[in-house]
Formats: sequence, structure tokens, C-alpha cells
Amino acid sequence: MTATAKIHDLRSASEAHETVVTGHNVRMEFPGPVIALEDATFGIRKGEFVSLIGPSGCGKSTLLRMVAGLLNPTGGRISVNGTPMVGPRAEIGMMFQKATLLDWKPVLDNVLLPNTLAGRVTNADRERAVDLLHMVGLKGFEFAFPRQLSGGMQQRVALARLLNSGADVLLLDEPFGALDEFTRERLNIELMRIQAQIGATIVFVTHNIQEAVFLADRVFVMTPRPGRIAAEVEVNLPRPRTIEQMKSPEFTETAFNIRDTLGGFI
Amino acid sequence: MSEQSFSDVPMEKPKTVPAWLQHLIVFSVFIGIWEMAVQLNWVSALILPSPFAVVFAWWDLAVVRALIWDDFFVTLTEVMVGFGFGAAFGTVIAVSSVMLPTFRRLVSPYMVALQVTPRIAVAPIIVAWLGFGMEPKIAIAAIICFFPIFINTLTGLMQVDEDRMEMFASMRANRWQIFRHLQLPGAMPIIMAGYKTGISLALIGAIVGEFVSASVGLGVRIQQFSYQLLLPQAFACLIMLTVMGLTLYGAASLVDRHVVFWKHDALLAKISRKLRTRYTDLLSRDRSGSAVTKTA
Repeated sequence: MTATAKIHDLRSASEAHETVVTGHNVRMEFPGPVIALEDATFGIRKGEFVSLIGPSGCGKSTLLRMVAGLLNPTGGRISVNGTPMVGPRAEIGMMFQKATLLDWKPVLDNVLLPNTLAGRVTNADRERAVDLLHMVGLKGFEFAFPRQLSGGMQQRVALARLLNSGADVLLLDEPFGALDEFTRERLNIELMRIQAQIGATIVFVTHNIQEAVFLADRVFVMTPRPGRIAAEVEVNLPRPRTIEQMKSPEFTETAFNIRDTLGGFI
Repeated sequence: MSEQSFSDVPMEKPKTVPAWLQHLIVFSVFIGIWEMAVQLNWVSALILPSPFAVVFAWWDLAVVRALIWDDFFVTLTEVMVGFGFGAAFGTVIAVSSVMLPTFRRLVSPYMVALQVTPRIAVAPIIVAWLGFGMEPKIAIAAIICFFPIFINTLTGLMQVDEDRMEMFASMRANRWQIFRHLQLPGAMPIIMAGYKTGISLALIGAIVGEFVSASVGLGVRIQQFSYQLLLPQAFACLIMLTVMGLTLYGAASLVDRHVVFWKHDALLAKISRKLRTRYTDLLSRDRSGSAVTKTA
């Protein structure tokens, strides 16, 4: 398989018909005025893993929050599953750099939070939550409390909670950014395994080029002042991905391609 | 994961004097110096009664003649009822302020005014309004303990972690759910600290009320005994107040420990064990076949 990274025409991708998330000329201006994001047009396909990469201030978190429905763009529009975004939706879930667990609830109840908010928790929900905890590698920790867990384990709980929300578009904002290198690598591999298992669409924000390439089918390279999507880089490495692939010339070439696009911004 | 963690391995303890014995030694030395100071006439027994004189006076008042129990329970009732009102008002006004920004804007100047006014100064006015029974003492106790409870509850509920707020928003939680599942439990440690401060202040309020005017209560007794220069008796009553204060604070701490259980590792371990037992069925089921696949 060839692994030449190609910079695509920005508009072609969004016209493909299996896209789940589409953005047309999305613009976000904060009072100041600060233009956080300008003229972002993109499409994300069903089941795709997209990394958003760029230096701080390039608007990647802003873009993610707009896709989540937590922020409304000041220009352009974002649609998910063909419906324009007006607010948070059930099929879209988000995960943050901090695990944002509730310290007073045991792990299982944290995972069940989406059910609690939906109004009731059934035995079937509990069964499913335990299954999810097994899937993220937390067997035996169902009734531990967040403060008894390491940072990596807390993020696993947050991931199980996200999966339990029933969302199939998962927006991850530097989810393992606060963890050590080894834990992050392990969680990244598990994240890809889980995605393969459930077939979710993932948008993953990071500022680590290696991580972006390792995880993604496509990397959106963003540049600051004003924030914009400068390029979409295809990663043609076979799946399942392994650490060994990071040594391959294809991997290195893609990573350097992204670096060149970022150019003077890093 | 291994069954045994490091915390289960008993640590080799260095052989030292146990903590309780250290406390006992310090206490005995303190009492010994006090007794000696009086016996050797470093201070006059008329000014500072000796510890034994105080104990005898207490024995006489509390056991032999059983004179001060009515006072004890009157003061205790004033403190508890006053605290109840103060806590109820403080909590309700704080919660309303958090939920209704307009209410907060309109009410906050009065709260600041109440804070900067020495609240003890209202005691004579309250007595003029409510007379000489328990009511004015309850009112003064309530007014004095209201403020820390109000402020702590307000502060606790207002300072919510932004990320958790965003997480709840992304899960489309409504205002009430955010309050119920995020703000309120998250604020509990600070709210409970307010209650702990409040209960001690309520005791001060009740005694101040009794000083202004009353016929029963430990504050009244201390005043009477002091006027008659019966200092051992006055000290005995003071010690009763100390015991009351300690008991109330201890009770508040105990409640705090169980409400804010997640700050205490020992309690967490116990609750984890209990939950694991309750949900044995859920945990013991074979899950090899139940891979979670794409949801419908």
C-alpha cells in the first residue's frame, strides 16, 4: 500500500455522500473581535477517524465545540447526519482532557450518568455499563471511586461513559494529553480497537503530530491567526495500526508532510 | 490486578509513646501546673480557682444538687433551634441566589450590610421585640450563624468546574439536573464547612442572648456566679459550655464525614466493598460472549 500523503481539494471531501459531519464556510468570531476560525469547509465520513492538529490558537477546540453544539458559529453552518446543528445532540458525545468524573459516584454510576440524566437506570443499563467497563479494561473496578484511580484509569471511565451515551460521533479534545507517554500510547491503541469494534466516527484533537498520524485516517492541519483548516492529509497506513508502523518511511513522510504544512507556525 | 495492594501490608511501626498517652501527659502537666500555682499561692485562689475546686463545684452543681441541668438543656435547645433556623434560611437564600440571578443581584447588598454590621449589636433590639424567653436567644443564635452558612453555600454552588459544566451541557442536562447531580454534591464539602462554623457561632449567639436578659441558661449562671465571686462554680459552668461546644462540633464533623464520604479513603474502601456485595450477581455473570457492538 502506498502511503503518499496527499493534500486534497478542501471542497471535494464534503461533497461525498456518506459524510456524517459537514461544515460549510464555518466562521467563529469572539467579541474583541478575535477570529477563532475562518472559512472552514470539511466533511467527515461515517466510521472515519479524523485528527485535528495545529498549534494553540488555531481554533481546533473551537471547531470541536461547534460540532458538539456547545458553540454556535457566527457564520456558515455545520450539519450532522444531514441536520444543521443548533445545540447538543444525543448522537454526538464529547470527552475532555480532564476526566470530568463525579467524585461522589462509584465508577459504574459515573458510566451510567447518561442513563441517570435520561431519567431512569434499568438493570439492562447496568449490564451494558459493566460490559463497557470490561471493554475499556476496567474489570474489577466497577465500584471503585474516581479518587482511587490513576489518571489513565479515570480517562478509561470517561471513555466508557462516552460510549454508554449512545453517541456514534465521538469528539475527543486531547483526551490523553495529561497522561504520561506510555499510558497515552496504550490508550490510543485501545481507542482504535474500540472504534473498530463499534464503528464510531471519531474526531480527535491533538497537538502531537506523531499521535495525529498514528491514529487517523485523515489529519486536518490547522493554522492560527486566523484559525483555518490549511490542509487535509490522508494517512494510508493499514489497520490495525501497530507501534512498528511508526518506524516506517510512510509514517515519517506523512508526519513531515504535516510539519511542512504547518511551516512557520511551529 | 493483584488481590493484595501495598496498603494491605502492615507497616512496621516505630516504637513510640501512643498518641493518647502523649495527650494525657500534656493534659496532666497543664492541670498539675495550674493546681501548683494555686497551692503555692502564685495566684490567689479567689481569682483563679484550683482544678480540684472546679471539679468539686461541678460535682456539687451537677450531681449532688443537680442544679444546672435545666440551664444546660435550655442553652442546648436555644443553640440547636437557632442553628436550625440559621441553616435553613442561609441555605434557602443561597440556593435561590444561585438559581435566580435577579434575586442574587437584589439581595446581595443586604447580605453585605448584614455582614459588616456587628450582629451582636442587634441582641438588645431582639430582646425588646421577643421578650425574655428562649425566643430571642434562638433568634440571635440564628442571625449569628446564618452568615457563614449563606456565604459557604453560595460560594460552593457558584464555583463549578467549567469542564464538568460543559460535559453536562454536551449530555443535554437541564438546569435542575446540573444542580442536582453536579453543583450540589460538588459544593457539599464547602457547605458542610459552613455548617461546622455555624454551629459554634450559634452557641456564641445563645450565650450573648442570655447575657442580655434571661433567667435560665448556662450564660445566666456564669454571670450570676461571677457577680457573687463564686469562681469555681462559674468555671464549672464554663466547662459545661466547652463540653457542649465540643459535642456539637463533633456531631457536625461526624455528619460531614458521612455526607462528604468521597474525601475519606477509609470510607470509600468500605462503601466499595458494600456495593460489590450488593451487586454480586451483576459482577459474577460471564461476559465472554457479550461484546458490546454498534448500538442501534
